[in-house]
Amino acid sequence: MITFEEVTKRYGERVALESVSWRMDEGECVVCLGHSGAGKTTLLKLITHETQPTTGTVSVGTFRSGRLRRSHRALLRRTLGIIYEDFRLLHDRTVFENVALAVRIAGRFSDEEVIPRVMYALEEVGLPLKQGAFPAELSAGERQRAGIARAIVNRPAVILADEPTGALEKKSADGILALLRRIHSEGAALLVVTTHQEVVDALPGRVLTLEEGHLVRDERTTGVIHGAASGPAAGA
Amino acid sequence: MHLFYLREAGRSFRQHRGLAYTAIFSLTAALSLAGLFMLLTHNAEEALSLMGDRREMIVYLRDEVNEQQRDVLIQRLNELYGSVVFVSREQAWQEFSQQVPKELLEAVDDNPLPASLHVKLKPALLNHTAMAEAAKQVSEFPEVEDVRYGAEQVERLDRLNSGLVRGTLIVGIMVAIAIVFVLYNTIRLTVLARRREVEIMSRLGASDTFIATPFVFEAMFEAALAAGVALAVLFGLQQGMAAQAFNLVFLPPLWALSFVGAAILLAWIAALLALSRVLRAVGP
Repeated sequence: MITFEEVTKRYGERVALESVSWRMDEGECVVCLGHSGAGKTTLLKLITHETQPTTGTVSVGTFRSGRLRRSHRALLRRTLGIIYEDFRLLHDRTVFENVALAVRIAGRFSDEEVIPRVMYALEEVGLPLKQGAFPAELSAGERQRAGIARAIVNRPAVILADEPTGALEKKSADGILALLRRIHSEGAALLVVTTHQEVVDALPGRVLTLEEGHLVRDERTTGVIHGAASGPAAGA
Repeated sequence: MHLFYLREAGRSFRQHRGLAYTAIFSLTAALSLAGLFMLLTHNAEEALSLMGDRREMIVYLRDEVNEQQRDVLIQRLNELYGSVVFVSREQAWQEFSQQVPKELLEAVDDNPLPASLHVKLKPALLNHTAMAEAAKQVSEFPEVEDVRYGAEQVERLDRLNSGLVRGTLIVGIMVAIAIVFVLYNTIRLTVLARRREVEIMSRLGASDTFIATPFVFEAMFEAALAAGVALAVLFGLQQGMAAQAFNLVFLPPLWALSFVGAAILLAWIAALLALSRVLRAVGP
């Protein structure tokens, strides 16, 4: 589903990822753990084609890294559901409109299907009564729930979450993690990048550890990979 | 889905009223200038066509031409060049005598004026080149003594007409460039003002068409509104001039519709040009 083959990414002189290989299968839950600057965000950007690897190959489903046409890049992103630390909600739209926007962008559903789909997603995240509220009227936890509703509303095969609890206090964070667990248990593949060990502890499945751009641990294997990580992870 | 795009365009318009009003104001000014030139050209063309209606070719007949030969010639000229009115020698003399003092007429023994045919030319022949060619052909008929058509005056009218058309074209092109420039920059600024929104949509997988369509609708709406206001301004001007005894007529409905249509078409082109560049710069 998602495959990194010997992926290196440099920004000028700075190395963000060095010869990283791993693979994520359908329905899998992977947590990518690392400190700030470890290369987690670059990893996500490579998956969403916001940036291209300097060397190596990133594949997402049938899409491979390289010069994708803009229309194909959009198509790739429509197969993913993305959750952001800072929610990335549109301030001038209600919760309903924010979630409905993703349905409109998917372009797979008729006008009549938009309302039930959005309401179903909002019920799943526990926000049906906030559908008419604007993001500024919500708590941080509620905003993240709205972001999750937007990510799952089109039933993507993979959900990517970038520090989903980073901006939340503990109680809200626990609620969000429970929600992610439930979404994963319903069949979606889940890739979460985080700096927090609590997130790792709360989610089932595999843990990739990044340090200074190197994949140093894949917990489905026996631990540290080559010290500075080169070659495919054992789990790939 | 189209309703969705229209709603999005409306939302963008409301949220960036300042930019939208600036664009509408600038477009109205440019379109008013173009419309004014169109109005003047249309009125000049009206006046020229009235004068053109009066253009005729006078075919003088030889004295020995009999009635039968004359009728055959009239029929040929009718078919080939336009409607023909016969003026006999007597009619010509009568008209002449009304314009000349009696004392002078008394000095003339006999009616020296020839019979003539006044040919009101078909519209396709109402230009200097065609008239010169027609006059040459008609003069080759054996029944014809001479052909006159006021060559110099016709040539001058033609020059004036083509000058106006050229002027309209030049002003039209300049205004078209101004419209594209204004809308190009307005759309760029609008997209940059909504950069965050465009970025989020792009990350969610929105295609360029999905992101661009509301901006295109917005630009087309602004151009249509500006063209409508410009037409209203011109109508007011025409009414005011008409009240001051200047015999101006307003643009015919087809011209007015074409004016609005051209503004919308230019807006569409400007929007596509701007968006093809700015979306690449803004989208992640």
